[in-house]
Amino acid sequence: MPDRYDEDLVAELRELEAWLVTPEPADQRAAVRDRLVRGTRRRRRIRATVAAVVAALAGTVVAVAPARAAVLDAVGDLLRVAGIVVQRDAGPTALPATPSPLPSLRTATLAEAQRLARFPVKLPAGLGEPEMVVLADPDPAGAPRVVTLVYRGGKVRFDQFDGTLDIGFFKKSGTGQWTEIGSAVAIWVPDPHPVTYVGRDGVERTSTARLAGPTLVWADGLRSYRLEGFSTLAEAREVAESVR
Amino acid sequence: MSRLDEATELTDAAAVDRARGGDLAAYELLVARYTVPAHRAAVLLGAGDDADDVVQEALVKAYRQLSRLRGESGFRPWLLAIVANETRNLHRSRRRRDGLVLRAAARPDPEPDSPDPADSVLARERRHRLVEHLRRLADRDREVLVCRFLLDLSEHETAAALGVPKGTVKSRTARALAKLREHLLVEGVPGA
Repeated sequence: MPDRYDEDLVAELRELEAWLVTPEPADQRAAVRDRLVRGTRRRRRIRATVAAVVAALAGTVVAVAPARAAVLDAVGDLLRVAGIVVQRDAGPTALPATPSPLPSLRTATLAEAQRLARFPVKLPAGLGEPEMVVLADPDPAGAPRVVTLVYRGGKVRFDQFDGTLDIGFFKKSGTGQWTEIGSAVAIWVPDPHPVTYVGRDGVERTSTARLAGPTLVWADGLRSYRLEGFSTLAEAREVAESVR
Repeated sequence: MSRLDEATELTDAAAVDRARGGDLAAYELLVARYTVPAHRAAVLLGAGDDADDVVQEALVKAYRQLSRLRGESGFRPWLLAIVANETRNLHRSRRRRDGLVLRAAARPDPEPDSPDPADSVLARERRHRLVEHLRRLADRDREVLVCRFLLDLSEHETAAALGVPKGTVKSRTARALAKLREHLLVEGVPGA
C-alpha cells in the first residue's frame, strides 16, 4: 500500500514528470487508420523508416551566414567541420511548429547512389551492408547532394555530402565537443539536439518529428560525414574509422 | 488536432464503444487524444528513436484488442500498458536500450522569467540528481517507478504493463524507492 512507501520521494518523482522533456511525437492518425483499413504492415515499416531519415536531416531553423571553403572554423560558440556547424547553445530549444520534409527524397540501390553522386560514396565497413540507401536534394542532372545509408532498422544513419559548397547541416547543442577521427577533426554531440538542413537552394528545411540522437560529425578532405545512432563516442569512433 | 473539435465531447468510453462497432472516426479521436501521452510513456521507458513506431504499433494493437478492454478500466492506462509492453518487446530485439533518454531529456535551464520557486537553482540541481540516479537504477527498478509515479499507473495497470504479478509490483516498487533514496543519501543530498 502507498503508506508503506517513502512518500516524500514518491511526491518528488511525481513532480519530476513535468520537468522531463521528450521529443515531439509524430501525428499517428493517418498512419493508424491506414493500417486498420488496409493492414499494410510491411509497407508501413519502410515508410516509417523513410520518414525517420527525413526527420534526421531536419530540425530547428537557425540563420547561418554562408562561409565557403573553410574546412575548419571555430568562432565564438560555433564548432565547424566543413559543411557541418554545431552551435553551442545550452538554452532550451523550441521546435518550429510546421513539419516540412527534405526535397526530393528517394530510395536507391547502393550502385545507383555511387553512379549518381558527384563524390565517392563511402561505406562504414564496421556496419556491413546498408539496409536502405536514400538520395536527397538532387541537382538538375539528378546528382544527390546528400546520400544517407540506413542500418539497424533505422537506428543508425550515416549521411555524407559535399561540404565545401555551403553549410549543409546546422546543429544546436549545449554539449558539442571537439575530437579527432584518425587525423581528421571531428565534433561529438552526445545529447539529443535539433538539426537544420540547409538545402542546395539555400532554403532551410525543418521538421518537428524528432530530435537527432547522439551524433559524430567529421570531414575527410572536402567531404562531410554525419553518423547518428551510437550512444558513446567510442562506438561511434570505431564505426567512423571503418569508413572506406 | 483541432479539426476533431466537433467530436471532443465524446467521452473515452463512448468512443471505445463506437470503435468496437468498427467506427474508425471514433477510434481516430482516441488516437488524437492519446498519441502524446503514449509517446511520452514510450520515451520514458527507453524506446528512444523508436518511440513513434512503438506508439503506432500499440495503437493498432489496441484497436484490434478493444474487446478485451473491461468496462471499469480507462482507455489511457490500458493503452499505456500496451505501449510499455511494446517497448519491452523492442528491448528484447536489440542489445541496448535507450535508458539515457531521461538524463538527456531533463531540461537544462529554467524558463527565462519564471518566478516559480520550483524553478530555483537548488530545485533544478535536485531534479538533475534525481534523474541521474533514476537512470542508474537497474532497468526493472526504473521501469516500475516510471510506470507507477511518472506515468501514474495503478499497481494493477503496472503489473499488466510489465507482465509481472501485482505482488511483484508492490515489492519491486518498495525496493526501488529504497535504493533510490539510499543513492541520494550516499551522495550527501539532504532528504526532501
